[in-house]
Amino acid sequence: MKNWLFVILLVALPAVISAQSDYIEVNAPGNRQMKLAVEPSRAVDGSPTVDPVRHSADVIAFDMNMSGVVIAESRSLQLPAGNLSMADVNYAPWLSAGFDMLIRSELSLKGDQLTVEFRLFDVINRKMITAKRYLGTAKDLRRFSHSFADEILRVLTGEKGVFTTRIAYVSTQSGNKEIYVMDWDGYNPLPLTKNGSINLNPDFSPDGREIIFTSYKRRNPDLYRRSLSSPVEVPLSNRKGLNITGSWSPDGSKIALALSKDGDAEIYTLDKDGSHPTRLTTNPALDLYPAWSPDGKQIAFVSDRLGKPQIFVMKATGGEVRRLTTAGSYNVNPRWSPKGDKIAYSRMVSGGFHIFTIGTDGSSDTQLTTEGSNENPSWSADGRLICFSSVRSSGNGVYVMRADGTGQRKVSQVKGTYFQPVWSAH
Amino acid sequence: MKKRMVALLAGISLAALLAGGCASKEAVKKEEPIQPSAGISMTESAKPVDTAEQARLAELARLARLAEQARPAEQARLDALKAAALELKFQTVYFDFDKADLRQDARDVLSKNAEVILKSVAGTKVQIEGHCDERGSAEYNLALGEGRARSVQKYLTTLGVKADVLSIISYGKEKPAVKGSDEAAWAKNRRAEFVIVK
Repeated sequence: MKNWLFVILLVALPAVISAQSDYIEVNAPGNRQMKLAVEPSRAVDGSPTVDPVRHSADVIAFDMNMSGVVIAESRSLQLPAGNLSMADVNYAPWLSAGFDMLIRSELSLKGDQLTVEFRLFDVINRKMITAKRYLGTAKDLRRFSHSFADEILRVLTGEKGVFTTRIAYVSTQSGNKEIYVMDWDGYNPLPLTKNGSINLNPDFSPDGREIIFTSYKRRNPDLYRRSLSSPVEVPLSNRKGLNITGSWSPDGSKIALALSKDGDAEIYTLDKDGSHPTRLTTNPALDLYPAWSPDGKQIAFVSDRLGKPQIFVMKATGGEVRRLTTAGSYNVNPRWSPKGDKIAYSRMVSGGFHIFTIGTDGSSDTQLTTEGSNENPSWSADGRLICFSSVRSSGNGVYVMRADGTGQRKVSQVKGTYFQPVWSAH
Repeated sequence: MKKRMVALLAGISLAALLAGGCASKEAVKKEEPIQPSAGISMTESAKPVDTAEQARLAELARLARLAEQARPAEQARLDALKAAALELKFQTVYFDFDKADLRQDARDVLSKNAEVILKSVAGTKVQIEGHCDERGSAEYNLALGEGRARSVQKYLTTLGVKADVLSIISYGKEKPAVKGSDEAAWAKNRRAEFVIVK
């Protein structure tokens, strides 16, 4: 994953970081939300001052805004010419413009060789908080910018951000359902499968390097596994009938899925090589779409054992089944939050679907989307964001929102119909 | 159904082509004794004629080779044509919303379909495809579509069709028969179709 080099030039010393918890209390009640200014990069060494300069600031501002931790703005102030030093910040104008923090960056592009350095400043206390320097090629600039946004979030919250992660999804751009992958913000979309068949329900391995998915390429809905970097699609489960809705366990050792080899759709777990099926449900109704709890001890799933599809939870070894959703007549697509406290799902509401979250104890059942029809929620690894597919008048695509439903943004770039997005782990 | 008709028509025109192919092969055989006349081409006066004749013979030989090469493909096309013709004898079975059990009209259709299978040549394999309308989740519909195909499979076996003749597959809502988002379209998409497989 980290095929680029990065060097921490000015290390965010542990002492500096621990000092931050005194300074920034982003979650402290009563505190207004902090404002972050992201200055366009300064090109040095005669580098062309073109698009990428603006680009980088926009990437960081978008990331930080979506995080919900700060209000970020790509912004430059009229400063006296010759304000050359990265470290030499004139804090006063930023303070009077209402900003609490400032990101300044320097960028050098020689041929294809990119060097970029970012610094985060505390405007109020007039000091640098953290800095990072990256070496790579021109195409790495977005990635470096995302990486520094991760660093800011780490410094502000103590938790790593998800801005270098990716989203896999199904799209019909080529005329049939194929699987693609893109950066979480919709950039760099890449086709993965190109088999001309029907491909469904991708899921990432915990290390983000592989996906499993269902394909009809051999005239049966079989489960396949493939690396993101190689086109080889390895059959993982081609048992008679359905081999669908595969879901990788958090430790990567097992795959939960729905098989119908013994009759109707039931939940099984397999070893990661597809062997040793263990049946978890025994029910004449349909059981499918397993979703692991982050500790790997429980599995949420969809079952119509009471008539209409509802979400149930059981032990990951089977048994102790309990019904989770009680409101709504058609609830599907459960996905467990990385912190373990909530389950996101989609509910059929007057013909379409909306995304909901519910506490794992069945409390706080909350509707997050209201526009169009929205399906297949999937959490970001830090639990701050949820991606989902949407069909709505303002544009169909893969959308991302904060876990409380705010900040809904379409991230997919290419026009078309999108299905079953899934967010990679870190 | 419309698609199948087109496929059948395409098949028929292929068959016509195929008949043409055979004819040209016959022609080549008849022409064979003429081969020695190629020797005449050595004479000056006959040269233009011989060139044309040679070209004609070369073309005939080429067609013969093509026909020979095309044999297996033709056979496959013939099989596909026969399968398409047999598939046309099957009627599609329809279901109620979110249901996999068979309505009375479905049972009537299935007894006719069972007869078609029972009368077909030994070794014929039939796959029952379960389909759903566009409502509901894609994943749930995969399971529902399979339930529909299984209901059909079970009923056909009670009518005397051997179990090893039948297989099932679900396409959920991935392959609608008709487009549209109204009850008329949905009713046509909640179905089980019959295809001949190898």
